[in-house]
Amino acid sequence: MTDLDIGRAWLVDPATGREGPGEIVVRDGILEAVNWLDGADADGVDANGIVVAPGFIDLHAHLREPGNEDAETVASGLAAAAHGGFTTVCAMPNTSPALDEPGVLSQIRAAAVSSGSPVELLAHGAVTTGRAGETLAALGELADAGVVGFSDDGSPIRSASILRNALAYAGALGLPIVDHPEDATLTDGAEANDGLVATVLGLRGWPCAAEEVAVGRDLAILADVRRDVPGVRLHLTHLSTAASLELVRRAKAAGLPVTCDVTPHHLALTDEWVAGARRFAWDAGEGGDPWRDDALVAAPYASSLRVNPPLRTPPDALACLAAVADGTADAIATDHAPHTEVDKAVEFGLAANGISGIETALGLVLAAVDAGQLTLARAIAALTSGPAAVLGGRSRRNGSVGLVEGAPADLVVFDRSETWTVTADGLASRGKNSPLLGMDLSGRMLLTMADGRVAYEAPDA
Amino acid sequence: MSAVIDGSVTAEMAVPSVDVAPESQPVGWRHRHLLDVDGLTAADLDLVMRTADAMREVLARPIAKVPALRGRNVTILFYEASTRTRVSFEVAAKNLSADVVNIAAATSSVTKGESLVDTVRTVEALGAQMLVIRHPVSGAPYLAAEIFGGSVLNGGDGWHAHPTQALLDLYTMRSRLPGGSVAGRKVVILGDVLHSRVARSNIWSLTAAGADLWLCGPPTLLRGFEAWAGRGAAAGRRFHVTASVDEALRDADVVMALRIQRERMASGLLPSLREYAARYGLTAARLALAKPGAIVMHPGPMNEGVEIAADVAAGAQSVITDQVTNGVAIRMALLYLLAGVAGAGSGVGGSPAGAPGA
Repeated sequence: MTDLDIGRAWLVDPATGREGPGEIVVRDGILEAVNWLDGADADGVDANGIVVAPGFIDLHAHLREPGNEDAETVASGLAAAAHGGFTTVCAMPNTSPALDEPGVLSQIRAAAVSSGSPVELLAHGAVTTGRAGETLAALGELADAGVVGFSDDGSPIRSASILRNALAYAGALGLPIVDHPEDATLTDGAEANDGLVATVLGLRGWPCAAEEVAVGRDLAILADVRRDVPGVRLHLTHLSTAASLELVRRAKAAGLPVTCDVTPHHLALTDEWVAGARRFAWDAGEGGDPWRDDALVAAPYASSLRVNPPLRTPPDALACLAAVADGTADAIATDHAPHTEVDKAVEFGLAANGISGIETALGLVLAAVDAGQLTLARAIAALTSGPAAVLGGRSRRNGSVGLVEGAPADLVVFDRSETWTVTADGLASRGKNSPLLGMDLSGRMLLTMADGRVAYEAPDA
Repeated sequence: MSAVIDGSVTAEMAVPSVDVAPESQPVGWRHRHLLDVDGLTAADLDLVMRTADAMREVLARPIAKVPALRGRNVTILFYEASTRTRVSFEVAAKNLSADVVNIAAATSSVTKGESLVDTVRTVEALGAQMLVIRHPVSGAPYLAAEIFGGSVLNGGDGWHAHPTQALLDLYTMRSRLPGGSVAGRKVVILGDVLHSRVARSNIWSLTAAGADLWLCGPPTLLRGFEAWAGRGAAAGRRFHVTASVDEALRDADVVMALRIQRERMASGLLPSLREYAARYGLTAARLALAKPGAIVMHPGPMNEGVEIAADVAAGAQSVITDQVTNGVAIRMALLYLLAGVAGAGSGVGGSPAGAPGA
């Protein structure tokens, strides 16, 4: 079993809210000691070097197995997760066949075991049979088999009536509905955020209202169902607009049982990237115009930027950051969406939606931290304790996501003083569809441990 | 001054002699591809205009042909039905003595079968050195340019750009307007702006040339353009957007009507063609709001009786057939200029800088 000593690093423990200089001792895979340092022992240790934190939890990842193993497998997806610092991954059920009954869950669990990865695989079940939006999937059987929520992600739940029934039924099972909020009547053929970039590039506009209408609908139905089913829970995934997040902020203030996540790409990247800019949201400024600002440095229409929901404007991205900062967004979830080259090396408007993002999530979040948009502690919490709370104890870590002495070691070690270059070969995911290829990100991953075992170790660490 | 295309600044600049091979005389053109109008400087536009003048002179000869592109393969790859633009490119290339290959790709093959990437690699392997591409998806020529070793000319992509149309429009306006310049002239683009690559490309070229540009149409077909107009096409290059046809046409120097397609009704953007013709059609009565002698343009193909009345299209103020003739001269000029750029004729030479990732 694994022994490990990490001396004089910056420890971040979201369970206690404590961060500071410290040492970690792992013996036989057990986190034997967490020694916080002070005084002279702590000299020269700060948050800008080696950081140790609990392993990350991704509430939203597409692992593509079964059905599209050319894009990703459970094994390659878990390897990618480990490279990204994630030690618990919730697989989305839009596989082929869909994960709408327990057999598919058994299949991917077997794949996880045979992969040998210590990364924890969890799964959401489908809300409707075949994700067709018409009849409820085997929600009770899926709950008994251990899914952590229900989602038709990839598609919205179009029928308000089905959503109402699903919320009530799942609520009684103690599980959330994880909705992908999108009014599809407003997004038929849509390609890019409905704004200056789409207008100039001649791309079909994807309005913010398509998301906001759905968020408003979902919240109204949630309030309605709650009268019958006090345990009802709604989780809204990959929110991307300032107004969506404001709706959730108000709903939470009113006491509704709603949680939500934002993705790393929606908080850091913007629709300007589709035009050829490569600056982060916080560098664009309010009302920025990449044509006027001479910010266009790459060719437009890179299909790696085609994603649902689309990359939004800088103010929307800053609203995503603000939502993480104030807790409106409970989690940062990757929406890792690997695709084959066949599905991406095509015209922008014909490309599959999605970004292979589980390995670059930390880099984008740290870019926001480096820019002073987010504290390191809050960023780590949104990757650990925040999603753990959404899971409500349905991880083998049993809800206690922290640097817990006596538990199997489950942690990440990364170096904020080092950058790494994103390359296709360097990504463990089969999906090379990252808009960040060739870019340098901060926070090189040195080590990921899950369940007391090494899940990822940098080649030269 | 530098942002304005004006006949007065051109005198001291070299006019290419189009009877000789383009690589033999540097004329200051640096673009390997023509994908959009937004990357063209005022000097670039001016060079295109002057080269087109030389091409008009060729077209006036008894034998309208020069050997400038002899031995070069110009492949015309169209994924959309087109007669006017395809034939215009073909005539232009043949007037320059190029070898022309025409490929009409069925629209269905855009979504199934051979990918654009494979098709471009195939035509290059078959000898294509310059590739003219028309495609229904915005941005497709950028994907072609990423992998093609020669020069790519955008013959129209989705809603995005139609650079040769915008340049022939500018050329036609300059040749017809008193003073030979569009600077300060009120130019109106009337109709389905939302779906129009012609309108988008004209925004860049006409604002660069200093025109007082107005976009007009039903509000559903102007979606997003008010925000663009407010920011400008580039620093300080504002234009106007209005749903009021009277406001747009009043005292106009140039009126360009755009084609309305029937599927706009099916998608709920317009009540009916009849209502469109009544409220936005370019009739003689409406044209009377413009300046006397204002010129009438249309990129074609026209729906006479819908966006433009037949008597206006055929009337004394119409320069629509000039646009067609000038289109050949402009496309000759662009083929000539691009062929003079290193790499364009070699069939080799890697991806352009800043190509998008996987």
